[in-house]
Amino acid sequence: MTPVGTETSERKPLATQTRVWRWTAFTGVALLVLVTIHMIAHHFVVESIGGLRTYRQILDYIANPVMFTIECTFLVVVTIHGMLGLRSVLFDLNFGARARARINRGLVALGALTVAYGLALIGTLASRA
Amino acid sequence: MNDSAAGAPGREARQERGPVQRKGFGLAPTGWVDPRGRTLGAWAFAGNRITGLGLVFYLYLHLGVLTTLLWGAHAWGRFLGVATTFVFLGLDVVLLFGLLYHGLNGVRVLLVGTGLVPHRERALWWAGAVIGTIVLLGGALHILGSRS
Amino acid sequence: MPNDVEERDRAPASAETRRFRVFRFKRGDERPHTDDFDVPVGPRTTVFEALRWIQLHRDRTLALRHSCLHASCGTCGLRVNGREVLACVTGVRDLGREISVEPIANIPVLTDLVVDMREFYARFPDEHPILRHSEFLEDASPHGATEEHVRLEDCIECGLCLSACPVVVTSERYVGPAALAFAQRVVEEPRGAETVNLLTWADDPDGAWRCHAIFECTAACPSNVDPAARIMALRGTLLGRRLRAERTERA
Repeated sequence: MTPVGTETSERKPLATQTRVWRWTAFTGVALLVLVTIHMIAHHFVVESIGGLRTYRQILDYIANPVMFTIECTFLVVVTIHGMLGLRSVLFDLNFGARARARINRGLVALGALTVAYGLALIGTLASRA
Repeated sequence: MNDSAAGAPGREARQERGPVQRKGFGLAPTGWVDPRGRTLGAWAFAGNRITGLGLVFYLYLHLGVLTTLLWGAHAWGRFLGVATTFVFLGLDVVLLFGLLYHGLNGVRVLLVGTGLVPHRERALWWAGAVIGTIVLLGGALHILGSRS
Repeated sequence: MPNDVEERDRAPASAETRRFRVFRFKRGDERPHTDDFDVPVGPRTTVFEALRWIQLHRDRTLALRHSCLHASCGTCGLRVNGREVLACVTGVRDLGREISVEPIANIPVLTDLVVDMREFYARFPDEHPILRHSEFLEDASPHGATEEHVRLEDCIECGLCLSACPVVVTSERYVGPAALAFAQRVVEEPRGAETVNLLTWADDPDGAWRCHAIFECTAACPSNVDPAARIMALRGTLLGRRLRAERTERA
Protein backbone atom coordinates (compact mmCIF):
# COMPACT_ATOMS: atom_id res chain seq x y z
CA MET A 1 0.00 0.00 0.00
CA THR A 2 1.27 3.47 -0.83
CA PRO A 3 1.86 5.35 2.41
CA VAL A 4 -0.25 8.45 2.70
CA GLY A 5 1.73 11.57 1.99
CA THR A 6 3.93 10.20 -0.80
CA GLU A 7 1.51 10.90 -3.63
CA THR A 8 0.52 14.28 -4.99
CA SER A 9 -2.70 14.97 -6.82
CA GLU A 10 -1.26 13.27 -9.93
CA ARG A 11 -3.15 10.15 -10.81
CA LYS A 12 -1.30 6.84 -10.59
CA PRO A 13 -1.47 4.64 -13.68
CA LEU A 14 -4.48 2.38 -13.30
CA ALA A 15 -3.40 -0.63 -11.26
CA THR A 16 -4.03 -4.12 -12.59
CA GLN A 17 -6.58 -5.02 -9.97
CA THR A 18 -8.59 -1.89 -10.69
CA ARG A 19 -8.46 -2.59 -14.43
CA VAL A 20 -9.59 -6.14 -13.80
CA TRP A 21 -12.49 -4.96 -11.66
CA ARG A 22 -13.56 -2.47 -14.31
CA TRP A 23 -13.35 -4.99 -17.14
CA THR A 24 -15.31 -7.56 -15.15
CA ALA A 25 -18.00 -4.94 -14.71
CA PHE A 26 -17.99 -3.82 -18.38
CA THR A 27 -18.13 -7.36 -19.74
CA GLY A 28 -20.78 -8.25 -17.20
CA VAL A 29 -23.05 -5.46 -18.36
CA ALA A 30 -22.47 -6.40 -21.99
CA LEU A 31 -23.31 -10.00 -21.16
CA LEU A 32 -26.68 -9.02 -19.75
CA VAL A 33 -27.64 -8.12 -23.31
CA LEU A 34 -25.66 -10.80 -25.15
CA VAL A 35 -26.78 -13.70 -22.96
CA THR A 36 -30.41 -12.63 -23.26
CA ILE A 37 -30.18 -12.53 -27.05
CA HIS A 38 -28.38 -15.88 -27.13
CA MET A 39 -30.87 -17.61 -24.84
CA ILE A 40 -33.87 -16.25 -26.71
CA ALA A 41 -32.41 -17.15 -30.08
CA HIS A 42 -31.66 -20.74 -29.11
CA HIS A 43 -34.56 -21.62 -26.83
CA PHE A 44 -37.49 -19.42 -27.66
CA VAL A 45 -37.57 -18.77 -31.42
CA VAL A 46 -37.77 -22.08 -33.25
CA GLU A 47 -40.94 -24.11 -32.82
CA SER A 48 -39.50 -27.33 -31.42
CA ILE A 49 -38.90 -29.09 -28.13
CA GLY A 50 -36.88 -26.72 -25.97
CA GLY A 51 -36.70 -24.33 -28.89
CA LEU A 52 -33.58 -26.19 -30.09
CA ARG A 53 -32.53 -25.83 -33.72
CA THR A 54 -31.78 -28.61 -36.18
CA TYR A 55 -28.48 -28.74 -38.02
CA ARG A 56 -29.91 -26.92 -41.01
CA GLN A 57 -31.55 -24.29 -38.86
CA ILE A 58 -28.25 -23.63 -37.07
CA LEU A 59 -26.39 -23.15 -40.33
CA ASP A 60 -29.04 -20.76 -41.61
CA TYR A 61 -28.90 -18.88 -38.32
CA ILE A 62 -25.13 -18.48 -38.23
CA ALA A 63 -24.94 -17.49 -41.89
CA ASN A 64 -26.84 -14.33 -41.06
CA PRO A 65 -24.09 -11.68 -40.75
CA VAL A 66 -25.81 -9.95 -37.83
CA MET A 67 -26.18 -13.13 -35.77
CA PHE A 68 -22.68 -14.21 -36.76
CA THR A 69 -21.27 -10.97 -35.35
CA ILE A 70 -23.35 -11.17 -32.22
CA GLU A 71 -22.34 -14.76 -31.50
CA CYS A 72 -18.64 -14.00 -32.08
CA THR A 73 -18.87 -10.99 -29.78
CA PHE A 74 -20.70 -13.09 -27.21
CA LEU A 75 -17.93 -15.69 -27.31
CA VAL A 76 -15.18 -13.13 -26.79
CA VAL A 77 -17.00 -11.23 -24.03
CA VAL A 78 -18.07 -14.32 -22.10
CA THR A 79 -14.55 -15.74 -22.26
CA ILE A 80 -13.05 -12.52 -20.93
CA HIS A 81 -15.61 -12.36 -18.13
CA GLY A 82 -15.09 -16.01 -17.28
CA MET A 83 -11.31 -15.75 -17.19
CA LEU A 84 -11.48 -12.64 -15.01
CA GLY A 85 -13.84 -14.43 -12.66
CA LEU A 86 -11.52 -17.43 -12.46
CA ARG A 87 -8.67 -15.06 -11.76
CA SER A 88 -10.62 -13.52 -8.90
CA VAL A 89 -11.30 -16.91 -7.34
CA LEU A 90 -7.72 -18.12 -7.81
CA PHE A 91 -6.15 -14.92 -6.53
CA ASP A 92 -8.06 -15.32 -3.29
CA LEU A 93 -5.91 -18.36 -2.59
CA ASN A 94 -3.08 -16.11 -1.44
CA PHE A 95 -0.38 -17.17 -3.86
CA GLY A 96 2.98 -15.43 -4.13
CA ALA A 97 3.85 -12.94 -6.85
CA ARG A 98 5.44 -15.50 -9.18
CA ALA A 99 2.47 -17.85 -8.99
CA ARG A 100 0.12 -14.93 -9.61
CA ALA A 101 2.07 -13.94 -12.72
CA ARG A 102 1.86 -17.52 -13.93
CA ILE A 103 -1.88 -17.61 -13.31
CA ASN A 104 -2.27 -14.39 -15.30
CA ARG A 105 -0.35 -15.83 -18.22
CA GLY A 106 -2.18 -19.13 -18.00
CA LEU A 107 -5.60 -17.51 -18.03
CA VAL A 108 -4.69 -15.30 -20.98
CA ALA A 109 -3.54 -18.40 -22.83
CA LEU A 110 -6.65 -20.36 -21.88
CA GLY A 111 -8.87 -17.49 -22.92
CA ALA A 112 -7.09 -17.08 -26.24
CA LEU A 113 -7.39 -20.81 -26.97
CA THR A 114 -11.07 -20.78 -26.06
CA VAL A 115 -11.82 -17.84 -28.31
CA ALA A 116 -9.74 -19.30 -31.12
CA TYR A 117 -11.53 -22.62 -30.96
CA GLY A 118 -14.94 -21.02 -30.73
CA LEU A 119 -14.29 -18.69 -33.64
CA ALA A 120 -13.01 -21.58 -35.73
CA LEU A 121 -16.18 -23.50 -34.92
CA ILE A 122 -18.47 -20.60 -35.75
CA GLY A 123 -16.53 -19.84 -38.91
CA THR A 124 -16.63 -23.42 -40.13
CA LEU A 125 -20.37 -23.65 -39.60
CA ALA A 126 -20.99 -20.34 -41.31
CA SER A 127 -18.99 -21.45 -44.31
CA ARG A 128 -21.16 -24.55 -44.71
CA ALA A 129 -24.41 -22.63 -45.00
CA MET B 1 -13.40 -24.31 12.24
CA ASN B 2 -10.65 -23.48 14.68
CA ASP B 3 -7.67 -24.68 12.69
CA SER B 4 -4.66 -22.43 12.81
CA ALA B 5 -3.84 -20.80 9.50
CA ALA B 6 -1.57 -22.93 7.33
CA GLY B 7 1.95 -21.69 6.62
CA ALA B 8 1.08 -19.58 3.58
CA PRO B 9 3.72 -17.14 2.32
CA GLY B 10 4.33 -14.23 4.65
CA ARG B 11 2.63 -15.81 7.60
CA GLU B 12 5.71 -16.96 9.47
CA ALA B 13 6.26 -13.66 11.21
CA ARG B 14 2.67 -13.58 12.31
CA GLN B 15 2.68 -17.20 13.42
CA GLU B 16 5.44 -16.44 15.89
CA ARG B 17 3.00 -14.14 17.63
CA GLY B 18 0.38 -16.81 18.07
CA PRO B 19 -2.24 -18.73 16.08
CA VAL B 20 -4.70 -16.88 13.88
CA GLN B 21 -8.30 -17.95 14.24
CA ARG B 22 -10.35 -18.22 11.12
CA LYS B 23 -13.97 -18.78 10.22
CA GLY B 24 -15.12 -21.43 7.78
CA PHE B 25 -13.70 -24.82 6.82
CA GLY B 26 -10.90 -25.88 4.52
CA LEU B 27 -7.74 -24.02 3.56
CA ALA B 28 -7.69 -20.56 5.03
CA PRO B 29 -8.36 -18.59 1.85
CA THR B 30 -11.43 -20.60 0.89
CA GLY B 31 -13.39 -19.43 3.88
CA TRP B 32 -15.97 -17.89 1.55
CA VAL B 33 -17.12 -21.38 0.53
CA ASP B 34 -18.65 -21.90 3.96
CA PRO B 35 -21.12 -19.09 4.62
CA ARG B 36 -22.71 -20.82 7.61
CA GLY B 37 -23.30 -18.39 10.45
CA ARG B 38 -22.73 -15.47 8.12
CA THR B 39 -25.15 -12.88 6.80
CA LEU B 40 -27.06 -12.58 3.51
CA GLY B 41 -24.21 -10.81 1.76
CA ALA B 42 -21.86 -13.73 2.40
CA TRP B 43 -24.39 -16.26 1.07
CA ALA B 44 -25.00 -14.08 -1.97
CA PHE B 45 -21.27 -13.89 -2.63
CA ALA B 46 -20.81 -17.64 -2.24
CA GLY B 47 -23.74 -18.18 -4.62
CA ASN B 48 -22.23 -15.77 -7.13
CA ARG B 49 -18.93 -17.61 -7.11
CA ILE B 50 -20.47 -21.08 -7.27
CA THR B 51 -22.72 -20.12 -10.20
CA GLY B 52 -19.79 -18.38 -11.86
CA LEU B 53 -17.60 -21.46 -11.63
CA GLY B 54 -20.50 -23.58 -12.82
CA LEU B 55 -21.00 -21.32 -15.82
CA VAL B 56 -17.30 -21.46 -16.72
CA PHE B 57 -17.55 -25.24 -16.60
CA TYR B 58 -20.66 -25.03 -18.75
CA LEU B 59 -18.85 -22.84 -21.31
CA TYR B 60 -16.42 -25.66 -22.04
CA LEU B 61 -19.11 -28.31 -21.89
CA HIS B 62 -21.09 -26.26 -24.40
CA LEU B 63 -18.15 -25.82 -26.77
CA GLY B 64 -17.58 -29.55 -26.54
CA VAL B 65 -21.19 -30.32 -27.37
CA LEU B 66 -21.25 -27.87 -30.26
CA THR B 67 -18.27 -29.68 -31.76
CA THR B 68 -20.79 -32.35 -32.71
CA LEU B 69 -22.02 -29.97 -35.37
CA LEU B 70 -18.78 -30.45 -37.29
CA TRP B 71 -19.84 -34.03 -37.98
CA GLY B 72 -22.98 -33.07 -39.82
CA ALA B 73 -26.73 -33.23 -39.52
CA HIS B 74 -26.86 -36.87 -38.52
CA ALA B 75 -24.54 -36.48 -35.55
CA TRP B 76 -26.33 -33.35 -34.41
CA GLY B 77 -29.67 -35.07 -34.80
CA ARG B 78 -28.46 -37.81 -32.45
CA PHE B 79 -27.46 -35.21 -29.93
CA LEU B 80 -30.84 -33.50 -30.24
CA GLY B 81 -32.44 -36.80 -29.37
CA VAL B 82 -30.66 -36.67 -26.03
CA ALA B 83 -31.06 -32.92 -25.61
CA THR B 84 -34.84 -33.06 -25.88
CA THR B 85 -35.29 -35.58 -23.09
CA PHE B 86 -36.91 -34.43 -19.88
CA VAL B 87 -33.72 -34.83 -17.86
CA PHE B 88 -31.67 -32.77 -20.26
CA LEU B 89 -34.27 -30.03 -20.49
CA GLY B 90 -34.38 -30.07 -16.70
CA LEU B 91 -30.64 -29.41 -16.68
CA ASP B 92 -31.32 -26.52 -19.04
CA VAL B 93 -33.56 -25.08 -16.34
CA VAL B 94 -30.71 -25.45 -13.83
CA LEU B 95 -28.50 -23.59 -16.28
CA LEU B 96 -31.16 -20.89 -16.54
CA PHE B 97 -31.15 -20.59 -12.76
CA GLY B 98 -27.37 -20.21 -12.73
CA LEU B 99 -27.49 -17.53 -15.40
CA LEU B 100 -30.29 -15.64 -13.69
CA TYR B 101 -28.64 -15.80 -10.28
CA HIS B 102 -25.23 -14.72 -11.53
CA GLY B 103 -26.65 -12.02 -13.77
CA LEU B 104 -29.07 -10.48 -11.29
CA ASN B 105 -26.60 -10.65 -8.40
CA GLY B 106 -24.01 -9.18 -10.77
CA VAL B 107 -26.26 -6.21 -11.39
CA ARG B 108 -26.62 -5.87 -7.62
CA VAL B 109 -22.84 -5.99 -7.13
CA LEU B 110 -22.42 -3.40 -9.86
CA LEU B 111 -24.94 -1.00 -8.36
CA VAL B 112 -23.65 -1.43 -4.83
CA GLY B 113 -19.97 -1.77 -5.68
CA THR B 114 -19.72 1.45 -7.63
CA GLY B 115 -21.18 3.37 -4.75
CA LEU B 116 -24.42 4.14 -6.58
CA VAL B 117 -26.72 2.51 -4.05
CA PRO B 118 -24.41 1.33 -1.26
CA HIS B 119 -27.10 1.05 1.39
CA ARG B 120 -29.53 -1.06 -0.58
CA GLU B 121 -27.63 -4.31 -0.92
CA ARG B 122 -30.26 -6.41 0.88
CA ALA B 123 -33.21 -4.83 -0.89
CA LEU B 124 -31.51 -5.37 -4.22
CA TRP B 125 -30.90 -9.01 -3.42
CA TRP B 126 -34.57 -9.61 -2.65
CA ALA B 127 -35.69 -7.64 -5.72
CA GLY B 128 -33.38 -9.79 -7.81
CA ALA B 129 -34.74 -12.91 -6.13
CA VAL B 130 -38.31 -11.96 -7.01
CA ILE B 131 -37.49 -11.06 -10.61
CA GLY B 132 -35.31 -14.13 -10.99
CA THR B 133 -37.95 -16.46 -9.62
CA ILE B 134 -40.60 -15.12 -11.95
CA VAL B 135 -38.36 -15.38 -15.01
CA LEU B 136 -37.13 -18.81 -13.96
CA LEU B 137 -40.65 -20.14 -13.55
CA GLY B 138 -41.70 -18.68 -16.89
CA GLY B 139 -38.62 -20.05 -18.59
CA ALA B 140 -38.96 -23.45 -16.98
CA LEU B 141 -42.59 -23.74 -18.04
CA HIS B 142 -41.66 -22.79 -21.58
CA ILE B 143 -38.68 -25.12 -21.86
CA LEU B 144 -40.26 -28.14 -20.20
CA GLY B 145 -43.71 -27.43 -21.57
CA SER B 146 -42.56 -27.44 -25.15
CA ARG B 147 -42.34 -31.22 -25.03
CA SER B 148 -45.29 -32.70 -26.87
CA MET C 1 -16.53 -1.77 47.44
CA PRO C 2 -15.29 -5.31 48.01
CA ASN C 3 -18.46 -6.57 49.69
CA ASP C 4 -20.67 -5.37 46.86
CA VAL C 5 -18.35 -7.01 44.30
CA GLU C 6 -18.50 -10.33 46.12
CA GLU C 7 -22.24 -10.05 46.44
CA ARG C 8 -22.62 -9.47 42.74
CA ASP C 9 -20.22 -12.25 41.86
CA ARG C 10 -22.08 -14.80 43.91
CA ALA C 11 -24.76 -16.30 41.72
CA PRO C 12 -28.42 -16.09 42.80
CA ALA C 13 -29.64 -19.33 44.32
CA SER C 14 -32.22 -19.98 41.61
CA ALA C 15 -29.81 -19.29 38.75
CA GLU C 16 -29.51 -21.72 35.87
CA THR C 17 -26.22 -23.01 34.55
CA ARG C 18 -24.79 -22.67 31.07
CA ARG C 19 -21.73 -24.40 29.71
CA PHE C 20 -19.11 -22.08 28.34
CA ARG C 21 -16.60 -23.60 25.95
CA VAL C 22 -13.72 -21.17 26.08
CA PHE C 23 -10.78 -20.99 23.69
CA ARG C 24 -7.47 -21.31 25.54
CA PHE C 25 -3.97 -20.70 24.35
CA LYS C 26 -0.85 -19.77 26.28
CA ARG C 27 2.59 -18.97 24.97
CA GLY C 28 4.48 -22.16 24.44
CA ASP C 29 1.39 -24.28 23.82
CA GLU C 30 1.66 -26.39 20.73
CA ARG C 31 -1.94 -25.77 19.79
CA PRO C 32 -4.99 -24.09 21.29
CA HIS C 33 -7.57 -26.09 23.21
CA THR C 34 -11.02 -25.57 24.69
CA ASP C 35 -11.89 -25.51 28.38
CA ASP C 36 -15.46 -26.11 29.55
CA PHE C 37 -16.92 -24.20 32.46
CA ASP C 38 -20.39 -24.52 33.95
CA VAL C 39 -21.34 -20.98 34.87
CA PRO C 40 -24.40 -19.94 36.89
CA VAL C 41 -26.22 -17.20 35.00
CA GLY C 42 -29.19 -14.99 35.64
CA PRO C 43 -31.65 -13.42 33.22
CA ARG C 44 -29.46 -10.34 32.69
CA THR C 45 -26.00 -11.89 32.81
CA THR C 46 -23.70 -10.77 30.01
CA VAL C 47 -20.97 -12.83 28.39
CA PHE C 48 -18.39 -10.59 30.03
CA GLU C 49 -19.87 -11.19 33.46
CA ALA C 50 -19.84 -14.94 32.88
CA LEU C 51 -16.19 -14.83 31.78
CA ARG C 52 -15.33 -12.69 34.78
CA TRP C 53 -17.02 -15.24 37.02
CA ILE C 54 -14.86 -17.95 35.45
CA GLN C 55 -11.78 -15.83 36.13
CA LEU C 56 -12.72 -15.25 39.76
CA HIS C 57 -14.10 -18.64 40.69
CA ARG C 58 -12.67 -21.23 38.35
CA ASP C 59 -9.54 -20.23 36.52
CA ARG C 60 -7.49 -17.17 37.40
CA THR C 61 -5.30 -17.68 34.35
CA LEU C 62 -8.08 -16.92 31.86
CA ALA C 63 -6.96 -13.80 29.99
CA LEU C 64 -9.49 -11.41 28.55
CA ARG C 65 -9.68 -7.70 27.82
CA HIS C 66 -12.31 -5.30 29.04
CA SER C 67 -12.57 -1.64 29.87
CA CYS C 68 -15.67 0.53 29.76
CA LEU C 69 -18.27 -2.25 29.99
CA HIS C 70 -20.81 -0.24 28.01
CA ALA C 71 -19.90 -0.78 24.33
CA SER C 72 -17.97 2.45 24.08
CA CYS C 73 -14.31 1.41 24.00
CA GLY C 74 -14.34 -1.65 21.74
CA THR C 75 -11.91 -3.57 23.96
CA CYS C 76 -13.97 -6.68 24.70
CA GLY C 77 -14.58 -7.87 21.14
CA LEU C 78 -15.01 -11.66 20.95
CA ARG C 79 -16.65 -14.34 18.88
CA VAL C 80 -19.54 -15.91 20.76
CA ASN C 81 -21.11 -18.93 19.06
CA GLY C 82 -19.17 -17.88 15.97
CA ARG C 83 -20.55 -14.35 15.76
CA GLU C 84 -18.57 -11.20 16.42
CA VAL C 85 -19.92 -9.31 19.44
CA LEU C 86 -18.89 -7.04 22.28
CA ALA C 87 -18.91 -9.26 25.35
CA CYS C 88 -20.00 -6.54 27.75
CA VAL C 89 -23.39 -6.01 26.10
CA THR C 90 -24.16 -9.52 24.88
CA GLY C 91 -26.75 -11.23 27.04
CA VAL C 92 -26.31 -14.90 27.79
CA ARG C 93 -30.01 -15.65 28.04
CA ASP C 94 -30.70 -16.29 24.33
CA LEU C 95 -27.43 -17.98 23.46
CA GLY C 96 -28.29 -21.64 24.04
CA ARG C 97 -27.20 -24.31 26.48
CA GLU C 98 -23.61 -24.44 25.23
CA ILE C 99 -21.86 -21.21 24.45
CA SER C 100 -18.55 -21.11 22.62
CA VAL C 101 -16.27 -18.16 23.27
CA GLU C 102 -13.31 -17.48 20.99
CA PRO C 103 -11.07 -14.54 20.26
CA ILE C 104 -11.77 -12.51 17.14
CA ALA C 105 -10.52 -14.03 13.90
CA ASN C 106 -7.85 -13.01 11.40
CA ILE C 107 -5.59 -11.43 14.03
CA PRO C 108 -2.86 -13.40 15.83
CA VAL C 109 -3.81 -14.53 19.30
CA LEU C 110 -1.53 -13.41 22.12
CA THR C 111 -3.12 -15.47 24.85
CA ASP C 112 -6.57 -16.97 25.44
CA LEU C 113 -9.10 -14.37 24.31
CA VAL C 114 -6.59 -11.56 23.82
CA VAL C 115 -5.39 -10.74 20.29
CA ASP C 116 -2.55 -8.58 19.01
CA MET C 117 -4.34 -5.40 18.02
CA ARG C 118 -1.18 -4.03 16.41
CA GLU C 119 -2.23 -6.05 13.36
CA PHE C 120 -5.43 -4.06 13.32
CA TYR C 121 -3.78 -0.67 13.60
CA ALA C 122 -1.07 -1.55 11.09
CA ARG C 123 -3.69 -1.50 8.33
CA PHE C 124 -4.56 2.15 8.82
CA PRO C 125 -2.84 4.69 6.55
CA ASP C 126 0.52 5.76 7.87
CA GLU C 127 -0.39 9.36 8.37
CA HIS C 128 -3.91 10.33 9.12
CA PRO C 129 -5.40 13.08 11.20
CA ILE C 130 -6.17 11.78 14.66
CA LEU C 131 -6.92 15.05 16.29
CA ARG C 132 -9.75 16.86 14.58
CA HIS C 133 -11.84 19.83 15.35
CA SER C 134 -14.71 18.76 17.54
CA GLU C 135 -17.15 21.41 16.37
CA PHE C 136 -18.64 21.87 12.91
CA LEU C 137 -16.91 24.56 10.92
CA GLU C 138 -19.21 27.40 9.95
CA ASP C 139 -19.11 26.59 6.26
CA ALA C 140 -19.35 22.81 6.75
CA SER C 141 -22.42 21.07 5.42
CA PRO C 142 -23.03 17.77 7.20
CA HIS C 143 -24.62 15.09 5.07
CA GLY C 144 -28.22 14.26 5.77
CA ALA C 145 -30.00 14.99 8.99
CA THR C 146 -28.08 15.78 12.14
CA GLU C 147 -29.27 12.52 13.72
CA GLU C 148 -26.67 10.73 11.61
CA HIS C 149 -23.86 12.30 13.59
CA VAL C 150 -24.74 11.30 17.11
CA ARG C 151 -21.08 10.72 17.87
CA LEU C 152 -18.09 12.51 16.45
CA GLU C 153 -16.67 9.31 15.04
CA ASP C 154 -18.54 6.06 15.29
CA CYS C 155 -15.67 3.64 14.94
CA ILE C 156 -14.51 2.31 18.30
CA GLU C 157 -11.73 0.29 16.68
CA CYS C 158 -12.93 -2.98 18.14
CA GLY C 159 -11.73 -5.09 15.21
CA LEU C 160 -14.99 -7.03 14.86
CA CYS C 161 -15.22 -6.02 11.18
CA LEU C 162 -11.75 -7.37 10.50
CA SER C 163 -12.74 -10.62 12.17
CA ALA C 164 -15.95 -10.96 10.15
CA CYS C 165 -14.48 -10.12 6.75
CA PRO C 166 -13.83 -13.19 4.55
CA VAL C 167 -11.44 -11.21 2.36
CA VAL C 168 -9.03 -10.34 5.18
CA VAL C 169 -8.14 -14.02 5.37
CA THR C 170 -7.40 -14.20 1.66
CA SER C 171 -5.10 -11.22 1.42
CA GLU C 172 -2.34 -10.37 3.85
CA ARG C 173 -2.21 -6.94 2.29
CA TYR C 174 -5.89 -6.00 2.32
CA VAL C 175 -6.27 -2.99 4.57
CA GLY C 176 -9.67 -4.06 5.78
CA PRO C 177 -13.03 -2.44 6.47
CA ALA C 178 -12.07 -0.29 9.46
CA ALA C 179 -9.24 1.54 7.71
CA LEU C 180 -11.30 2.10 4.56
CA ALA C 181 -14.34 3.24 6.49
CA PHE C 182 -12.11 5.63 8.37
CA ALA C 183 -10.73 7.03 5.11
CA GLN C 184 -14.22 7.49 3.74
CA ARG C 185 -15.29 9.35 6.87
CA VAL C 186 -12.43 11.79 6.42
CA VAL C 187 -13.28 12.20 2.74
CA GLU C 188 -16.95 12.70 3.58
CA GLU C 189 -16.24 15.29 6.24
CA PRO C 190 -12.67 16.57 5.90
CA ARG C 191 -12.81 19.48 8.37
CA GLY C 192 -9.63 20.83 6.88
CA ALA C 193 -7.85 17.47 6.49
CA GLU C 194 -6.03 16.59 3.26
CA THR C 195 -8.16 14.05 1.35
CA VAL C 196 -6.25 13.60 -1.92
CA ASN C 197 -3.55 11.50 -0.29
CA LEU C 198 -6.13 9.33 1.44
CA LEU C 199 -7.98 8.76 -1.83
CA THR C 200 -4.75 7.74 -3.51
CA TRP C 201 -4.05 5.40 -0.62
CA ALA C 202 -7.47 3.80 -0.99
CA ASP C 203 -7.25 3.57 -4.79
CA ASP C 204 -5.18 0.45 -4.62
CA PRO C 205 -5.66 -3.24 -5.44
CA ASP C 206 -5.38 -4.00 -1.74
CA GLY C 207 -7.49 -1.01 -0.79
CA ALA C 208 -11.05 -0.31 -1.80
CA TRP C 209 -10.87 -2.65 -4.81
CA ARG C 210 -10.13 -5.76 -2.79
CA CYS C 211 -13.51 -5.74 -1.11
CA HIS C 212 -16.01 -8.28 -2.47
CA ALA C 213 -19.07 -6.41 -1.19
CA ILE C 214 -19.98 -9.23 1.16
CA PHE C 215 -21.19 -6.86 3.90
CA GLU C 216 -20.19 -9.07 6.82
CA CYS C 217 -18.35 -6.13 8.33
CA THR C 218 -21.46 -3.99 8.43
CA ALA C 219 -23.39 -6.80 10.06
CA ALA C 220 -20.70 -7.25 12.72
CA CYS C 221 -20.12 -3.59 13.53
CA PRO C 222 -21.52 -2.74 16.98
CA SER C 223 -21.25 0.97 16.38
CA ASN C 224 -23.20 1.86 13.20
CA VAL C 225 -20.13 2.59 11.13
CA ASP C 226 -21.55 0.60 8.16
CA PRO C 227 -18.06 0.03 6.76
CA ALA C 228 -19.24 -1.86 3.68
CA ALA C 229 -21.45 0.96 2.48
CA ARG C 230 -18.62 3.37 3.15
CA ILE C 231 -16.23 1.28 1.07
CA MET C 232 -18.76 1.32 -1.75
CA ALA C 233 -19.16 5.06 -1.41
CA LEU C 234 -15.38 5.38 -1.48
CA ARG C 235 -15.32 3.39 -4.72
CA GLY C 236 -17.90 5.73 -6.16
CA THR C 237 -15.72 8.67 -5.23
CA LEU C 238 -12.64 7.02 -6.72
CA LEU C 239 -14.46 6.18 -9.97
CA GLY C 240 -15.77 9.71 -10.23
CA ARG C 241 -12.27 11.04 -9.67
CA ARG C 242 -10.90 8.85 -12.46
CA LEU C 243 -13.67 9.67 -14.89
CA ARG C 244 -13.17 13.38 -14.29
CA ALA C 245 -9.41 13.09 -14.74
CA GLU C 246 -9.82 11.09 -17.93
CA ARG C 247 -12.27 13.61 -19.27
CA THR C 248 -9.88 16.50 -18.62
CA GLU C 249 -7.05 14.53 -20.20
CA ARG C 250 -9.07 13.98 -23.32
CA ALA C 251 -10.22 17.59 -23.44
